[in-house]
Amino acid sequence: MLSVEELNTHYGRAHILQGMALEIGAGEVMVLLGRNGAGKSTTMKSIIGLVRPSSGRIVFDGHEIAGEEPHRIARRGLGYVPEDRRVFADLTVMENLEVGKQPARGSMRPWTPERLFELFPNLGRMRDRPGGRMSGGEQQMLTIARTLMGNPRLVLLDEPSEGLAPVIVEQMANAILALKAEGLTILLAEQNLHFAGGVADSATVVEKGRVVWSGTMAALRADEAARTQYLAV
Amino acid sequence: MDSIIPQLLTGLAGASSLFLVASGLTIIFGVTRIVNFSHGSLMMLGAYIGWSILTRLPREPEWFVLGIIATVLATAVIGVLLEVVVLRRVYRAPELFQLLATFGVVLILQDVTLWIWGPVELPLSRPRWLRTAFDVAGSRLPMADLILIIVGPVVLGLLWLVMNRTRWGTLVRAATLDREMVAALGVDQRLLFTSVFALGAGLAGFGGALSLMSASANLHIDLAVITDAFVVVVVGGLGSLTGAFAASLLIGILQAFGIVLIPKSTLVLVFLVMAVVLVFRPNGLMGRPQADAREALVAAPVVRPAPRELRLLSLATLLLAIVAPFFVGDYYLTVLTDACVAVIFATSLHFMMGPGGMASFGHAAWFGIGAYAAGLLMQWIGAPMPIGLLAAPIAAGIVAALFGWFVVRLSGVYLSMLTLAFAQIVWAICFQWVELTGGDNGMLGLVRPEWARDERVFYWVALALTVAVALLLRRALYAPYGYALRAVRDSATRARAIGLNVGWLRMAAIVIAGAACGLSGALFSYGKGSIFPTYITISHSVEALLMVLLGGLQTIAGPIIGALVYTGLADILMRSTDLWRLVLGAVIVLLVVAFPEGIAGAARRLWLRGREA
Repeated sequence: MLSVEELNTHYGRAHILQGMALEIGAGEVMVLLGRNGAGKSTTMKSIIGLVRPSSGRIVFDGHEIAGEEPHRIARRGLGYVPEDRRVFADLTVMENLEVGKQPARGSMRPWTPERLFELFPNLGRMRDRPGGRMSGGEQQMLTIARTLMGNPRLVLLDEPSEGLAPVIVEQMANAILALKAEGLTILLAEQNLHFAGGVADSATVVEKGRVVWSGTMAALRADEAARTQYLAV
Repeated sequence: MDSIIPQLLTGLAGASSLFLVASGLTIIFGVTRIVNFSHGSLMMLGAYIGWSILTRLPREPEWFVLGIIATVLATAVIGVLLEVVVLRRVYRAPELFQLLATFGVVLILQDVTLWIWGPVELPLSRPRWLRTAFDVAGSRLPMADLILIIVGPVVLGLLWLVMNRTRWGTLVRAATLDREMVAALGVDQRLLFTSVFALGAGLAGFGGALSLMSASANLHIDLAVITDAFVVVVVGGLGSLTGAFAASLLIGILQAFGIVLIPKSTLVLVFLVMAVVLVFRPNGLMGRPQADAREALVAAPVVRPAPRELRLLSLATLLLAIVAPFFVGDYYLTVLTDACVAVIFATSLHFMMGPGGMASFGHAAWFGIGAYAAGLLMQWIGAPMPIGLLAAPIAAGIVAALFGWFVVRLSGVYLSMLTLAFAQIVWAICFQWVELTGGDNGMLGLVRPEWARDERVFYWVALALTVAVALLLRRALYAPYGYALRAVRDSATRARAIGLNVGWLRMAAIVIAGAACGLSGALFSYGKGSIFPTYITISHSVEALLMVLLGGLQTIAGPIIGALVYTGLADILMRSTDLWRLVLGAVIVLLVVAFPEGIAGAARRLWLRGREA
């Protein structure tokens, strides 16, 4: 569904992605693992177009999307949930969802606020609360719900468990599993191996902007050496 | 009591017209982050287009309303054109270059308006129904004022509905907070920006058309209005509609009462309010701290010493400049002297703007203070030129220190606006305090001593001072002080954390820049023999900005090249065409679109590219 090949991205002179590559099939949940600064977020930003890659191919659904405007990429059915949430602080929950709203596409059941409130019951209880006055966990739910309002077929989820209380992380994992059951394809960036292990089918490990390991989640679980080498802090 | 109610009503009417312009400006800024200098020009166009339409329509009220609507639509269309043709191309350019581009538009529209409607003021002959007045609490309320008083709150209400009850409004508010995220959610920003611009332009046009009820369409509306609108928007908080309304009320009413109580000080009063508000609420009454610019991923290039080739070139230019008086005629000699003044003017601004990160919109203030300091000393104690040239930087430096106390607390657009306000205060004082400064008539008879009366000698004096100032500023930049200053520019918080006194460092930059600029003002005055308040106008401040930005912020040669290019360009244009503003404006816009890093910056990039390849 999405394939990234030989992707290079620079911030000014810093060469962040150095030949990044990955391939994710429809309905798959893949986790992008790696330490801080490995290039996980930059990979996601390059895919959604917020950062313009200097070279390489990004093919989504048979279309070359590298270098396209973010809104065009989003309208192709690619959803992006940023790492730092970026909810619109002055806008209420309902208004935040409204901004994310895009026409339904494909065969998936279109998302409505009501359906999203089933997924994230907390949000349904604070429809008129401004995004800026919500807890971190609630904001994280809102930012995912907001992206889902665009009815994406593939979602880029950047560190959804970051800085959240264990209870909330648990809820987040359940929500992701529910989305997977809906048939959504998910590319997840994570540092929390435990969290990732609970939801992902496959894993890609990044270091210094390139892939150093990839395979199924089960294989990663078995590969003690790879885990210590690439992921142990 | 008698005088309170009529003044209050006048104030409310004034507040409404302020709000019409300011609301558009603030909405446009909120979404596009562009401080649109040409917003006043849109209002001016509204007045002229309104005049053209309304004078052709029957004089009944319903036709009047129709004419106003047509005017609003016409200006909205012009706004769309402006956005699509110019602004869309500069969204990615640095903030100040966008500003420069919109100022280019101001110049273009000035000449276009002059060309279409001519230089004569165009009053609208008011129909009878518009000339009626109502009796309110024992005083007369003219129909025009009544209409304005009603229109202001109605527009605020409608805008509130649009912003809070429609999808479009929700998207606009979201984009005001984080437009990158909005794009990532699939919203086409271009459409949003264009429509926002259309709305803002329409509001400005509305304000312009309504202004015809009590004033005539004239060519000075643009800059007069934009200054007022800036003040309102900054006092209210950039991007805040309710803030703009509150600030409009505050300033409108203040102006109405001020003109009765202390007639001479209205201009000072308005800007004083702004300064006071910004000191206590640095983000305006209802503004919020500016979100970090999420796009700013690439740090500003480091200022490096010029390559050897450039130094040789500068040396050659300098030698040429020294011997020039032997080859050029009197006219070009004065142009060269002006160029020296311009170089000091620009390098001093560059000092606080480039390394200091403080973009002053009121740099002409120090120029004027230097000039008047020399002039007054001459008038009072007959001080000769050397004393004047010494006193000018001292006076400008002292005043810069006074203003700097306020200025160093702010950053970004707010800082720029406060410096603009201070310059307007200085201008207002020089303009209105006729006993001291001669007001509009200026101060004449600033004579040079015997030995400097020859234009050539005076030119050499100017050249020597220019070189000295440029070298001194360069020295300061490569001293530890200069490094600290740049550290403060790049991150005030981090600079503070390593023990730098941020306030003091910035203050020193302002004082140094002010003093140097004051010298250029005095030098210019001795060159011309007279001093006028026009030295302190916004246009003159913008000229300094133009020179610096044309040359580029990231090199020390930049402001020098910018000053020379600008002086040359302005001279050629003014002598060769009546439409020099149009041409200059177009050149500015094209330059911004083509070289967002300035002439020197672009040259440097091309040069380096040639080397590395």
